[in-house]
Amino acid sequence: MSISYVPVGKSGKWDGAMDWLQMLSGFSLILFVWCHAILESSVVISPDVMDAIGHFLESTGMVQVGGPLIFLVFLSHFVLGARKIPFRFDGQKTIWQHAKMLHHLDTWMWIVQIVSAMIILIMASIHMWVALSDLPITAAKSAARIQGGYWAVFFLILIPLVHLHVGIGFYRIGVKWGFVKDCNRAKFKKVVDVIVTAFVVLGLITLARYYFMSVN
Amino acid sequence: MSRLLKFNIFRYNPADEVSEPHMEEFVLEETDSMTLFIALNRIREEQDPSLQFDFCCRAGICGSCGMVINGRPGLACHTKTKDLSGEITLLPLPVYKLVGDLSVDTGSWFREMYTKTESWIHTTKTFDPTAIEERMDNKQAVDIYELERCVECGCCVAACGTARMREDFIGAAALNRVARFLIDPRDQRTENDYYEIIGNDMGIFGCMGLLACEDVCPKHLPLQNQLGFLRRKMGITSLKKIFKK
Repeated sequence: MSISYVPVGKSGKWDGAMDWLQMLSGFSLILFVWCHAILESSVVISPDVMDAIGHFLESTGMVQVGGPLIFLVFLSHFVLGARKIPFRFDGQKTIWQHAKMLHHLDTWMWIVQIVSAMIILIMASIHMWVALSDLPITAAKSAARIQGGYWAVFFLILIPLVHLHVGIGFYRIGVKWGFVKDCNRAKFKKVVDVIVTAFVVLGLITLARYYFMSVN
Repeated sequence: MSRLLKFNIFRYNPADEVSEPHMEEFVLEETDSMTLFIALNRIREEQDPSLQFDFCCRAGICGSCGMVINGRPGLACHTKTKDLSGEITLLPLPVYKLVGDLSVDTGSWFREMYTKTESWIHTTKTFDPTAIEERMDNKQAVDIYELERCVECGCCVAACGTARMREDFIGAAALNRVARFLIDPRDQRTENDYYEIIGNDMGIFGCMGLLACEDVCPKHLPLQNQLGFLRRKMGITSLKKIFKK
């Protein structure tokens, strides 16, 4: 805060609303990603189970309606979150130098969140387009894509990035909105670490299952 | 033989036209219970009398000796050299106006901040100096006192990524100050009044929750809890403002 600048007195009615929307859109996407990862991993039990789940979601219209809706929430969340991202080079340089100077994990975690957000914006959009424009979703189709090679690499990048971003976001909502108090912060961080690791491992197992599945 | 400590200290005098910002090395023999405050005084007395840094109380009360110690903002008088490696880098706190070397002007920043946040009890009651002071619930008094412990060292703002990127961000010290008045029953300001001060992206909604403020505060103020409390409180106020129209 410079001594010549007077920020108070500015009406920020919508700043509060946008902060709510950023948190709520982020939280709904966290729940979606975790549900998506669990349902997707049903292929590990059996491709038939995954096909049955896919069939159920499509026959009830949840994929056709929910998919574009999730995409809308996804884009809105990016726009809302981007209000805090330094898009100018001097801002990027400042936060980078600051993080390097401070040796502070939470500050580095924010940078990870920002960088992963940019990559996820592109990769998740591609993923959603490919999945939703080629319905029905079946284990065989997904396996064929993964075994093609490029998609395996694509998901090897996307899965850890998404779970890292989502995990940090979950932690950030907890501490930022005061749902997690200072006395529980370290414990909460450990719980989030475990959740992120579990989902990355689950994602990799799912990917391996697709890779080694026999496609007729 | 005690350790020989190597100090890399930022040197620059903005009042001197020929002065250029640079790092200068000093070597000093460590003594028992040495703090950075003691070390800096010895360097000034024995090696370079022109070295500028601030101090007053030597006991973590005045908040004058805030500086960046090996990357982290902290108080020189609170930092023992035995807790640091043999090589110590000292920089002035960012965000604030540099006076010279390690000395920064936090006073102007805080005075301006107090004016902006109207950091005093707002009441319509006339003060009667002869009347017995109104009683306050003990827990409430303790809660207020807890937030009053801020020594205005400025470390929280210097450690804040948002404040570094956006100079219009009000910072944790200011938000803590507002929280202090918000819980004070003597202050008659409404939530809408507080919203006018901090209910925007320069105030509580600008905070990104990086929590370096909480982690570097030398007085261990509960800044994380205050920021969460204010965000929820002001968040609800923003919804009331939108939907009550």
